[in-house]
Amino acid sequence: MIVLTGVTKYYGQIAAVEGVSFSVEAGEVIGFLGPNGAGKTTTLRILTGFTTASRGTAKIAGFDVNDHPIEVKRRVGYLPESVPLYREMIVRKFLGYVAEIKGLQGKKRVHEVGRVMERCGLSHMAGRTIGNLSKGYRQRVGLAQALIGNPPVLILDEPTVGLDPRQIVEIRDMIKNLAQEHTVLLSTHILPEVAMVCERVVIINRGHIVAEDSMANLAGVSGDKRVFDADILGDETAIRITLADVHGVRDVAVEAKGRYRITTDPDERMGVLLTTALVRANHGVENLRERTRTLEDVFIEAIGADEGDAA
Amino acid sequence: MRNTWAVCKREFVSYFITPVGYVVAGVFALISGIGFAASFIGYARATQSPSAYGYTGVPDFEETLLSPFLVFCGLLIMFIGPLVTMRLLAEEKNRGTAELLLTHPLRNREIVFGKYGAALGMLLVMMAVVSIQMAVVWYFVPHVEPAVLGFGVITVFLMGAAFLSMGLFVSSITRNQVTAGTATFGLWFVSYVLGSLSRDLPDAIALPENWSPWAVRAASFGYSIFRSLATELPLDVHAQEMAQGVLQPEDILYYVLFSAFWLFLTLRVLETRLWRA
Repeated sequence: MIVLTGVTKYYGQIAAVEGVSFSVEAGEVIGFLGPNGAGKTTTLRILTGFTTASRGTAKIAGFDVNDHPIEVKRRVGYLPESVPLYREMIVRKFLGYVAEIKGLQGKKRVHEVGRVMERCGLSHMAGRTIGNLSKGYRQRVGLAQALIGNPPVLILDEPTVGLDPRQIVEIRDMIKNLAQEHTVLLSTHILPEVAMVCERVVIINRGHIVAEDSMANLAGVSGDKRVFDADILGDETAIRITLADVHGVRDVAVEAKGRYRITTDPDERMGVLLTTALVRANHGVENLRERTRTLEDVFIEAIGADEGDAA
Repeated sequence: MRNTWAVCKREFVSYFITPVGYVVAGVFALISGIGFAASFIGYARATQSPSAYGYTGVPDFEETLLSPFLVFCGLLIMFIGPLVTMRLLAEEKNRGTAELLLTHPLRNREIVFGKYGAALGMLLVMMAVVSIQMAVVWYFVPHVEPAVLGFGVITVFLMGAAFLSMGLFVSSITRNQVTAGTATFGLWFVSYVLGSLSRDLPDAIALPENWSPWAVRAASFGYSIFRSLATELPLDVHAQEMAQGVLQPEDILYYVLFSAFWLFLTLRVLETRLWRA
């Protein structure tokens, strides 16, 4: 649905993004992650036709954004980061205007405006002036205008920035619902958001992509080893000897007093083997859990590796 | 076409959601009204005792009242026109709404024509005021051709439309409304003043005698081009005769081409956004 190939954008001498390539299948929900200033917004602006790439191509639904801008824009609902709106207009009129531009006429237009207002919880605000709305409601208006005409692709640039916790939850739920019928490219630097909403993640740092994988792969075991955290009672040397005897244990490290980190082969039975061995040796095992990588770990690792390369 | 209309409608309505539209229409009505009353009274006095005002007979209505008043209206647009045009594109950029405008399925020309259409809409509001004044003239002044008055309104409209096209262009290259407004006014005013000064330009310039013949020819050719530009380009020059009811196709063409030129440049500016890669 969305295909970027070697997209590079220079602002003067500075490359905002360089050689960015990734693709999004129809119906996927992709998290587009990166620290502030990594090139997220620039990439999205190239996709939506607000700016052009210096090199490389971007295609949406098979249409090149440079050669067929109108076809692309018809298929994309875009919520820019700053949520720019005509503040003097009232909500219903503004959405009506967007619907008109997107080619909806007469009854269809009225119906569509009603639908998106309903969907975004704006129905009771239809007659309010946009400039007088709270930030959360303005965000909804921004989302509503992106939804008008039911475009197959939604590009949302940091949709929850600056909202209060309850509004963030509401907007996230809204996005989760949208994910069922749209291809969504969600840019953010808030990681739990991605973990909750997205199936796949693309991480960008300093203008190029540093990681791209499914959420399961990124957050799960990396495949070649398993790592356990355990709270074990007893003498440290004895515990080390016991653990070293267990088949498949590669490394034992002491994190704090009584807290061990055990690295093992990627064997399914490792948990059982460890517990049995420890209990047989009369060590009290209080807590044994596998360590899964959080998105934060992945993110910091990917970005750290990238900056390490450059240094 | 439909999209052009949508952009135009939104822009025009927003003139009247904000005070801009009322201020522009109100100030135009007030000042043109004062100008109209003053020149109408002056003309009435002059017709009653022509000799006291240095006329040999009853002064010509078109030449002494109608044309100067209409050109005055045109120049009035020069002063308040920047209020109409400065927001058109500069404000979109400044508020960030350009990002919506340019990512919605709109062609650049639909944006440019829509915006220009909204400015012309404001101009029509001002022309409604002038039309009322022309109706007063038609009612009170004997033997006036309604067509002459109609042409008069069209003249002011064309002159205003030309001003506005230039203003739209300036708005497209700036981000700040104040910059846009000031620059627009400056540009209009300078071209107006140059136009007035150019009336005193001699037909030819004296060149040093020791210049070779081809240099003289080149210099005088250059001067003649400069002189025609200086005398023909200013916006009010072509209005003066038209406002007296002397309708020349080339004068109309001049205004149409003038506007088309600036609209074309504006379109180019919108497109360079995409060249700047």
